[in-house]
Amino acid sequence: MKQETTTPAVPEWFEARRKPRARIVARWVPWVMVGIPVLVLLAIVVYPTVWMAYHAFHDTNMMGLFTGRYAYVGWQNFANVLSDPRFHNSVVNLVWYLTFGATLEVLLGTALALILYELVPRPGLRVVLLVAMVLPMMLPPSIVGVLWKFLLQANNGAVNHLLINLGLMAPTERIDWLGVDLSLTSLIIADVWQWTALPLLIVYSGRVSLPPAVFEAARVDGASRFTVLRRLTLPMLKEIIAIAFILRFMDAYKFVDKVYVMTSGGPAQSSELPVFIAFQKGIREFQIGEAAAYAWLIFVVAAVIITLFLQYLKRVLKAQAFA
Amino acid sequence: MALLEIRGLCKAFDHVVLDRLDLDVEAGEFFVVVGPSGIGKTTLLRCVAGLETPQAGTVRVRGTDVTGLPPYRRNVALTFESYALYPHLTVFENIASPLRARRRPAEEIRRKVREVAKLLRIEHILDHRPGEISGGQKQRTALGRTLVRDPDVFLLDEPISHLDAKIRHELREQFHHLEELRRTATLYVTHDYAEALSLGDRIGVMGPGGLVQIGTPEEVFERPRSLFVARHLGQPTINLLPAALRREDGRVSLELEGCGARLPLTAEQAAALSARTGDRVVLGVRPHHIALADGAAPADGGLLEARVELYEPLGAKGVLLAELGSTRLHVLTPIDVHFRPGERVRLAFDRSAFLFFCPERGVNLVD
Repeated sequence: MKQETTTPAVPEWFEARRKPRARIVARWVPWVMVGIPVLVLLAIVVYPTVWMAYHAFHDTNMMGLFTGRYAYVGWQNFANVLSDPRFHNSVVNLVWYLTFGATLEVLLGTALALILYELVPRPGLRVVLLVAMVLPMMLPPSIVGVLWKFLLQANNGAVNHLLINLGLMAPTERIDWLGVDLSLTSLIIADVWQWTALPLLIVYSGRVSLPPAVFEAARVDGASRFTVLRRLTLPMLKEIIAIAFILRFMDAYKFVDKVYVMTSGGPAQSSELPVFIAFQKGIREFQIGEAAAYAWLIFVVAAVIITLFLQYLKRVLKAQAFA
Repeated sequence: MALLEIRGLCKAFDHVVLDRLDLDVEAGEFFVVVGPSGIGKTTLLRCVAGLETPQAGTVRVRGTDVTGLPPYRRNVALTFESYALYPHLTVFENIASPLRARRRPAEEIRRKVREVAKLLRIEHILDHRPGEISGGQKQRTALGRTLVRDPDVFLLDEPISHLDAKIRHELREQFHHLEELRRTATLYVTHDYAEALSLGDRIGVMGPGGLVQIGTPEEVFERPRSLFVARHLGQPTINLLPAALRREDGRVSLELEGCGARLPLTAEQAAALSARTGDRVVLGVRPHHIALADGAAPADGGLLEARVELYEPLGAKGVLLAELGSTRLHVLTPIDVHFRPGERVRLAFDRSAFLFFCPERGVNLVD
């Protein structure tokens, strides 16, 4: 037996218990596992994005796409989009939609969630109400669009009839819900009806998971219900509400389904949103170049906003140190 | 008139937790409720605080019936076992919250919070949030939130039980020095008997249904009224040996079951138990009332031979688990000894500290 001993980096029993075949498998399995999703992502996300970036700088249209004849136009597509009054109008619409749609959904959802939690004492009733309020979310958005289009018809829509029957409106009067003045509002109404349930669910589950002892401590301390809401419940739910808002914001930002079904952006472009225009330009008119420029603008703005949101969230979570 | 008076308090959830509980806590008194976990100690506090509504009974603070009042109108302060600090507020704001709820002027709030923080030695963390401070500091913050209020009654729910031993000891000492707690009535709940014995002016042992014994720490520890109380206080737990009372030529003695050894009794014990000769009893002996005997046996024969089963040296003392016939008992030993399992030792019992319990009802037969 030799005296000098060298300590192996890996003990021999460790290598010995691994069969050679197992070692080969262990080497390629991770590559395959990661590789397949990466390839899929390359195909469906990276490639179209790059393709879109390329065409944003060309005057590609449907003919050009098939014949391969299109010319480099520099920033012309972007200039066209940014100087288009139709685009300006749609941006204004989007801001309206985000302020009154997404915000209203979050405010309403939060209020309903807290009312449900604080004022409905019986758990059974709470579940029934919760399910009832979540139902609209279960419908396909396009169906909801069709539904509301019917409800909001000026002449024999149910909403106008209801207003007349309640005596809020003269029988001869008609509110043109889908006309120039109200089309965007109608879209917002339909969307709020469908999506208020999401912030409601998120905030409700957040409220349920808050530690009860903290609220009992506040009761012993003598805080009023309003103080508890303002100084405890809302601050402790702040991040949850922010997350609900981010989710609704992201969804509202790419909102196109109900626009398509209910108003097709009209009348007179009164309810057009940037994404809808991009869709029209690209898929309807096959102005690939300009549609790509639209898409890029939308993408960049979205990226900036989401980055800001995430940074805010990170800061809040860090400040709370996950207490 | 006691500052806090509880009369006939009944509370049941799906089982009875408190059954007609009576308790008086005087001004300046530190009353500790000790009992196993899940027995209803916290429920008692929550009934006093107004977070639970009792099915029957009254709670009076300074003579006023507060049973039907909401928590904030009772002027009682409660610390929670989980601290229940407001996670998004700083330590300063946490302590200040009861004053803010009462809309005290900002100047007064600042002064009072500083005072309390100084008292509890947490001045340096006033700007931190609960997520950034240690368990001991959280506990002090929770305590500060109750101290700042000047309440009539302090209710402290296991305030130091979840901290590590060193901080626990430090806070235990601090409790002794808190003048604020000495001015009012304090109801302190714990499952740790050492905390209870160390802190309480009086302690109450809680068993199923309510307080089974109330008294000074010495009374309760040395003269437990029942097996339940005896078993709950003390570490290692009291040794309980089945025995029978025998009378031989006019003298009452105790025959231990399982080894047949006979132990003579003191004159008082014999007098108190003479009516029960022939009965089976449970003998209770605390581990520190059994000594290791070396040399000759004392004249009265209170010496038994046992076999060492296990020996745990614990630094300041040792715990010996010995087998005596078919029963086992714990003995507290000095540290300069050592035992090996199987060794034989001789044990001297301190007869004057013997406790006798009825095997069926568990009551103390002498007390």
